[in-house]
Amino acid sequence: MCGIAGRILNSPGRIGADLLALMDAQMHRGADSTGFALYGTPLERGYLVRAMSPNRTALSTDLEEFRAILKAHGSDFLEDPTWDDAETRHASVRMVIEEPKRLAAWVRDADAFSDHLEVQSVGRSLEIIKDLGSAADVAEKHQMHDFIGTHGLGHARLATESSVSPTASHPFWARPFPDVAIVHNGQITNYFLSRNRLERKGYCFMTENDSELLAVWISDRMSQGMTQAAALRQTISEIDGVFTFLITDTQSMGFVKDRWAMKPLVAVEEDGNLAVATEEQAVRTIYTDEMQMDNYDGPSLSRTWAIGEQRRAA
Amino acid sequence: MSEVVIEVAQRPLREVNTEIRESLEAGHEVVVRDTRSRHNLGVGLPNNAHIRFEGSVGYYCGGLNNGATVQIDRNAGWGVGEGMASGAITVNGYAGMSTGAAMLGGTVHVKGDAGPRCGVAMKGGDIIVEGKLGYMCGFMAHAGRIIALGGADDACADSLWGGEVWIAGPIKSLGVDSKTVEPSAEEVATIEALLADFGLSDHSRNWRKIVSAQRLWHFESRDASKWLMI
Repeated sequence: MCGIAGRILNSPGRIGADLLALMDAQMHRGADSTGFALYGTPLERGYLVRAMSPNRTALSTDLEEFRAILKAHGSDFLEDPTWDDAETRHASVRMVIEEPKRLAAWVRDADAFSDHLEVQSVGRSLEIIKDLGSAADVAEKHQMHDFIGTHGLGHARLATESSVSPTASHPFWARPFPDVAIVHNGQITNYFLSRNRLERKGYCFMTENDSELLAVWISDRMSQGMTQAAALRQTISEIDGVFTFLITDTQSMGFVKDRWAMKPLVAVEEDGNLAVATEEQAVRTIYTDEMQMDNYDGPSLSRTWAIGEQRRAA
Repeated sequence: MSEVVIEVAQRPLREVNTEIRESLEAGHEVVVRDTRSRHNLGVGLPNNAHIRFEGSVGYYCGGLNNGATVQIDRNAGWGVGEGMASGAITVNGYAGMSTGAAMLGGTVHVKGDAGPRCGVAMKGGDIIVEGKLGYMCGFMAHAGRIIALGGADDACADSLWGGEVWIAGPIKSLGVDSKTVEPSAEEVATIEALLADFGLSDHSRNWRKIVSAQRLWHFESRDASKWLMI
């Protein structure tokens, strides 16, 4: 079933707390795992990297190896990496790195080391935080409550297509495009074929999850000059299955809904702020008063919302 | 009969619904406030009960209704009145996906528009929509009537098995295995008499009555390609 949410603030604010509220209200839609894509204050130099270690006892050694790969690409840590101090075997690592000479080439080499440390997001401002358990569990473990940012996505997962693990959960990063993330509610039925085509173009996928396709598929079109809005519209005819998904980068957030209109989406826009979620009752944890609700119940729908400077200029 | 006010906000739903049921069984009229679009409000209401929801409600409000009169002041989420046997539900605003899904009897009256698959799998009763019906209204309905005054979106009466869909206003497209038939003057008079009960009578309407073409009644797998929509 799954539940998704998105939030845009008209100026930097408590995006972590808002997304936690949106996802906490949708926990019944999927409690296998919960994830967030948070966009904080953008770095002027370098990238934020979020990575997952399957074995925290080997983390120090693995980070040395990871650093060697960075150095081979003219990069290095700009700060000492940090990670959660939970008792789980897996650990979620946050790094700030110098910009590699060629980002895609570094990502490819780093991915060869993914059995030890899997890169889950790269961006000037994007940080993907995902783990097993409820929204409250994940937010507590990764200290998300006080995260200040401009926008972000949330996902509660009921696994249907692949394993239940912190790495197979949402959001997914559009590897190797910085700052692009996606959350998806539904099932993609032609993902294997579409994914093969993208792999032949050199793209790399980390999981067997159908949704990982969407972010890369759209980013690939956008890298060829297509606008986000046009690429989103194209998924309606070219991606098979049932889906309502949200995608975002640093410029805009968008959604698409399939031809069969199977998965809900509701939005409130107010004073340059946006709250969008699978269920209206989630949106109303933020807007408790009766508001104008945009029910995207129909088939073959898509739209985009601007973020930040573009939003204020609009 | 006195009126009891029940607040919802973030209270546990089971507690709210128990309070609603106990108040109705004690013979009170119930007003529910601060509904916050919560799901499953007022499911399984008893006969002769009167209840009003002051705001928007979430999924399945008034579901399994067995004779109660339900008023929703704003919008209803998915599946309002799902599986109801009798009674009356009024939605003042928009009703989401699958309004009156699998209902057996009674009336759902929507003053705004209705979302996709309105009356999906319904087995009886009436759905009256003053606005427009969404995509695939009446999908696989078996009996009952869906009546819309503001037209219908794509795939109107898709895969209709039985029952009737009555549309005044434009129909974007008909769904598979449905057909438009000319209603008799008596049939139109019956529909207008029903609408008159809601203050909606207007004899100048140009009605279209849509029923099952009944070809899917005898579906054979070798004909499957005829029905595929992709």
